[in-house]
Amino acid sequence: MTTRQPPEQTLSDWLGDTPGQPRAEPLTSALDRLYATGPSTAEIQSARSRIQAALREARSALLYYEAVGPTGVGPVFVAVSDRGVVAVEFAASEAEFVHSLQARMGASPVRSNPMAGEASRQLREYLAGSRTSFSLPLDLRRMSDFQRTVLLAAAEIPRGQVTTYGQLARRIGRPGAARAVGQALGHNPIPIILPCHRVLASNGTLGGYTARDGVRTKARLLRLEGAQLLAG
Amino acid sequence: MVDRYSGEIFGYLWRFFQGRPEAEDCLQETFLRAFRAYPRTPDLRNPRAWLYRIATNTARSHWARGTRQLARTADLDARLPSPASSVPDLVDHRQRLRAVAAAVEALPPRQRAALLMRKYQELDYAAIADALECTEAAARANVYQALKKLRLQLALTPETEQTS
Repeated sequence: MTTRQPPEQTLSDWLGDTPGQPRAEPLTSALDRLYATGPSTAEIQSARSRIQAALREARSALLYYEAVGPTGVGPVFVAVSDRGVVAVEFAASEAEFVHSLQARMGASPVRSNPMAGEASRQLREYLAGSRTSFSLPLDLRRMSDFQRTVLLAAAEIPRGQVTTYGQLARRIGRPGAARAVGQALGHNPIPIILPCHRVLASNGTLGGYTARDGVRTKARLLRLEGAQLLAG
Repeated sequence: MVDRYSGEIFGYLWRFFQGRPEAEDCLQETFLRAFRAYPRTPDLRNPRAWLYRIATNTARSHWARGTRQLARTADLDARLPSPASSVPDLVDHRQRLRAVAAAVEALPPRQRAALLMRKYQELDYAAIADALECTEAAARANVYQALKKLRLQLALTPETEQTS
């Protein structure tokens, strides 16, 4: 005579719910056999590289942002990608900034201090006058070649100095393109860090500034940098 | 997180789907979902259970989409006992394994998930409850319901086994 455990008892043993050695019974050994195999090491490796590749792609499409806070030129927001800063905006509110980013970049930005906090801190310090230059990677992939050339040329204008649309056009080897240069600067996605505000009209007036309060903001930025202005 | 958990989660999805293509699709989707949800997940006490939750939800929605196929014979043959068994034994085993595979696939996905997590992924009931977004008692009930249904469906009780 063999003593037999009731089925519930053997199942809890098998599940590890009660102490003791799991006892075999037909159902549990059939399940054990069915689930004995899994993906091989090679299959796990290849799945892992597919995941890494998919995550890289997802990461490059993601944008993170942070508020710079109330500054001398009003509220400012900054967004970064996995490569660097993609946008600085004089937006009235967080909602307005997020909406504008979605419209321009087709991405849903996530507020993240770990990702965008450093850019936000440097901008805050710059606008408070306690920092004179930026040390941040920039992501210029969304710009046209021409706009990139113009904005990188503007970035070479030293703090406290200004140039004109015409001079900048000559500097990039496109002397007839002052108007196009103005356009490219006007659509600068990363103002302040890429200092389009240092480029003025050839007659010495401030020209334009596509931001809150337009040229008044431009004048405030130039004054902050100690530029000598003829007008404004 | 990918390095640490992808192999284990792959094993889970592999068992859930009884085979590779869907398991791998779900695996990738699980980690993409986790990546997107991560910035909005403030307090991650148990990342392992959290990944199981995402994997289970992903697997269940794939399952509901009905893109699955029944486990292939070739896949099942790989799980048969060693070739030393006699031919009638092998046929018997194969039939039984196929019956078990079909019975498991007929289980409600939630119960199947609970059973797999408990027995083959070695999660405790607290983690299973976390993954299934239910109480520990409900997690336990899901496991037992799964086993009860399997036993009913397969009539694999110790009694019938002995008399057959």
